[in-house]
Amino acid sequence: MRKDFRTLMRDNAVTIMFVVLCLVAFFLSGQSLGYVAYELFGRLSRNAFIVLALIIPIIAGMGINFAITIGAMAAQIAALWVTEWQIPGLGGFAVAALMTVPIAALFGFLIGKLLNRMKGQEMIGGLILGYFANGLYQLLFLFIFGNLIPLHTDGLVIKGSTGVANTIDLNRIQAALDGIWRLDFNTAFYVCMALAAVWFIVRLAMKKTSAKSGGISLGVLAAVVLIYQIPAIKAGFATLRIPVVTFLVVGLLCLFNVAIMRTRLGQQFRAVGQNMTVANAAGINVDRVRVIAIMISTVFAGLGQLIFVQNFGLFQTYGAHEQVGLYAGAAILVGGASIVRATNGQALLGCILFHTLFIVAPLAGTNLLGDAAIGEYFRVFISYGVIALALVLHAWRGRSEKRDLRALSEKE
Amino acid sequence: MGNQKARAIASVLIVVLALVLIVTGVVGMSRRATATGEEILTNMRTRAVLIATGEGAVESYVAIAADQAREAAQAAGASMSEIREAVAAAEEEARNNSSANLLDYATADTTGLDAALSTLRAALMDYRAEEAAAEAAYVEQMQATAAPEETEVDTSQLTSEADLEAMLAEEEEVEVDMSGFVATERMNELRAIADEKYAGVCTELMALYDTLDQAALDTLEGTIFDIVSQSGDDFAREYDRYNAAGGAAALSNRFGAWVIRYGDDLVYVGVGLILAALVVFFYPTLVKKLGVPRMIIGLFFVLLCVVALIYDLSLSGLMSNTLVRMGMNSILVLAMAPGIQCGIGLNLGLPIGIVGGLIGGLLAIEWQIGGWLGFVFACLVGMAISAVSGALYGMLLNRLKGSEMSVTTYVGFSIVSLMCIAWLVLPFNSLELRWPLGTGLRNTIVMSDATSFGHILDNFLSFSIGGFTVPTGLLLFMALCCYLVWLFMRSRTGVAMMAVGNNRRFAEATGVNVDRMRIIGTMISTMLGAVGILVYSQSYGFMQLYTAPRQMGFVAASAILIGGATTSRCKISHVLIGTFLFQGVLTLGMPVANALVPQSTISETMRILISNGIILYALTKSGGEQRA
Repeated sequence: MRKDFRTLMRDNAVTIMFVVLCLVAFFLSGQSLGYVAYELFGRLSRNAFIVLALIIPIIAGMGINFAITIGAMAAQIAALWVTEWQIPGLGGFAVAALMTVPIAALFGFLIGKLLNRMKGQEMIGGLILGYFANGLYQLLFLFIFGNLIPLHTDGLVIKGSTGVANTIDLNRIQAALDGIWRLDFNTAFYVCMALAAVWFIVRLAMKKTSAKSGGISLGVLAAVVLIYQIPAIKAGFATLRIPVVTFLVVGLLCLFNVAIMRTRLGQQFRAVGQNMTVANAAGINVDRVRVIAIMISTVFAGLGQLIFVQNFGLFQTYGAHEQVGLYAGAAILVGGASIVRATNGQALLGCILFHTLFIVAPLAGTNLLGDAAIGEYFRVFISYGVIALALVLHAWRGRSEKRDLRALSEKE
Repeated sequence: MGNQKARAIASVLIVVLALVLIVTGVVGMSRRATATGEEILTNMRTRAVLIATGEGAVESYVAIAADQAREAAQAAGASMSEIREAVAAAEEEARNNSSANLLDYATADTTGLDAALSTLRAALMDYRAEEAAAEAAYVEQMQATAAPEETEVDTSQLTSEADLEAMLAEEEEVEVDMSGFVATERMNELRAIADEKYAGVCTELMALYDTLDQAALDTLEGTIFDIVSQSGDDFAREYDRYNAAGGAAALSNRFGAWVIRYGDDLVYVGVGLILAALVVFFYPTLVKKLGVPRMIIGLFFVLLCVVALIYDLSLSGLMSNTLVRMGMNSILVLAMAPGIQCGIGLNLGLPIGIVGGLIGGLLAIEWQIGGWLGFVFACLVGMAISAVSGALYGMLLNRLKGSEMSVTTYVGFSIVSLMCIAWLVLPFNSLELRWPLGTGLRNTIVMSDATSFGHILDNFLSFSIGGFTVPTGLLLFMALCCYLVWLFMRSRTGVAMMAVGNNRRFAEATGVNVDRMRIIGTMISTMLGAVGILVYSQSYGFMQLYTAPRQMGFVAASAILIGGATTSRCKISHVLIGTFLFQGVLTLGMPVANALVPQSTISETMRILISNGIILYALTKSGGEQRA
């Protein structure tokens, strides 16, 4: 049991550190739970989808796909044209999504082809490919759209300057997805809890889980419901209204990630991720599988960015995509994923922790050191630092495993 | 074989085309000073003046008609609106009449006017020359008095590199207020002569246009003077000016005139085409030796040179800028070399060294150590800090063999953002460094030439030949550093280090301490990064803190890759060639892009594409090797 605890600590060092960091920063910031919860749910609805888009390439052994920025660019191209055509509401969002899919799929295909030529360097390759694509994106938005391909809607092009305006106003499709059906937190909470309880009971009844773990799960649920009854906490969440459809879409993506692993393709992802040589010997077309993994990731990243911009109602034309890869990558690592293993749960947990820190860090910085800028820089540092740490830890583990293996073989 | 034949034919065709262009161009240019060129200009000048005066004549005629109409209407006791209508009608009528009755340019006899204009032009040229000389003397005098006054630069609003770039360009020419300038006596005399000649022109003009009166001609004087002569005239400028004023219509052989005007550009294009033909002919050899991206960038550089010449941008000035920027970036690029040679690949964690150098520079300013002493002090402090951080960093990298690049990138990024916090809280006191209000250090810190070590290398022994300034000190320092690194590579340690970079297993087998060599290489690379940023900053005139160092590793990496290095092999020549090509493309790219598409940021886009494109290319090449 003691050893279990130590392994648990070691394997989840980053996550545990982050939980502590979030708690400390939360208390330092002096913010109410309600404010943090409100901000957090907003950020989750915007960002969770794109983080989930990282899972498949990780399983396929390509590391964190920093090239998802390119998927975000595809979404922004679609968003620009929907604005140009002035299609309002859910229809506009649907058209944008339909446009994003083929564009992002094409981009993903090209990214995959390129990454296949730099096996083992996919992450740095993806990062630099993102920068490179940003140059092409600027070329497209500064010199082609609005010049060679004229745009007619007011505000898309600013007179006297070249190219598309710095900010694109999406008020026609703002909250198109979020606004379909919003529930107040209270109802949503009880519905979720009830569904979870039913799920555990069904699994218990079907003997899929042991009585012990089923009991623990139900107990945790009951505890959560009980804690929720504390008036202070209940009041904190009272003003929240949950965009149900957005979270349902996120849930669908989680289901997709689980379901695809049960298919032939999913097994191929796993095989390629574990060992390319073996997979190749087993008759899997490694390059093709990797391209498919990246294509799926890029398409989901595009849709994720679309969810993001519809929530905001506007986006910075030349900046909205730049940090997508960094933040999503950092978030999934914070949740306990590594660059070879990732699950839906880790992605969602990481998203919650990472964004909690994002909300409270500037305020904590202000209170602690009298300067909000420190908090700002701190969270950027954390984003990069978490990725660096995860890479170092991974390389380290790989080496020690190899060493153990070697020692083992020498002994024999 | 057929392929080679096709290439030979294509290159011969291109050469023939190029030769035709060059010969035409040279013939055209040689005819500028002959009677033909003179005749073209005379014809155009006369026509331009006639058109300008014609417009003036119409206007004065219309004004007279309008006045008459107004008086007539007022006399008739009409209301305001009626008067306005009548005036408008009269103006319309007068305009139509006069346009129809105006001179027929083709048949008018302009020999008298030609001669009069020529004498006017001669007189004006004397005047302009005198004016230019007097103004230059005045500017010199004013600058001599204003020089001790250090211009205070407000860097708080400058955030982007483009702003700083613009400021850097302006800095060269200190604006002198010309309002105090008074014409000299000699100028007045020459002006009087020019006015006299203008009277002759007026007579001729009035003979041609019967409606023209002296008052209208007086108002036209400035316009005509500007058309006829401007300071710094040469054939091309005169041609362009007359052309803009509509003078081209007077030419009987427009194409011939065009060839004469653009003769030099034809020659430039011809030379460019010959180079292109050579590339086509030797294509396979070149691709094998240089690789596709390097060849594209080389050709792009040549193309930029040709376009710069066509747009009459000062190529010597641009080349001199390129030289400065090459020297300024060279040490940072050189810092990549030991990293590649010791086997850690591209040291994208270069910001770790840069940060050390910045601290050295800040300390020098904080303690007000200026001049050479300040530069040496900053370098030593920077190198000391970087030696420590480089050693630690090297130890980290030793545990990560094989995945250095992605780790170094993110470790570098983390250090830069950690230092962002440090810049906010470090206890520096100098107001040159801190914001006067608020916390932390400034984003960009001005390194003044007087109190700090701004431009200390650039200005050392620098001289200029006809607009081409040679930053001797900077280039000497660059050469010195390159030589030292070259020397080191030939030492016992250096050879062992290269062996590690070339083949780790082999080096291990021959008894080289691989880990130690890698630490040494990383340390040298990091220390060169510290010196590099100081050289960069002194040349730039600013130290950039906060997020500015983040991308510098990428820029340096792409430069050395453009020079011909791979992620596992490089030479000093790669550093020099790469820095020159990369900075040359950037320096030429900005003004050329602005000439093609005014007010655009296309050169910045170009930088992103080239810099990241070349790294991607190198990665695709290295990826295969590593798997094998």
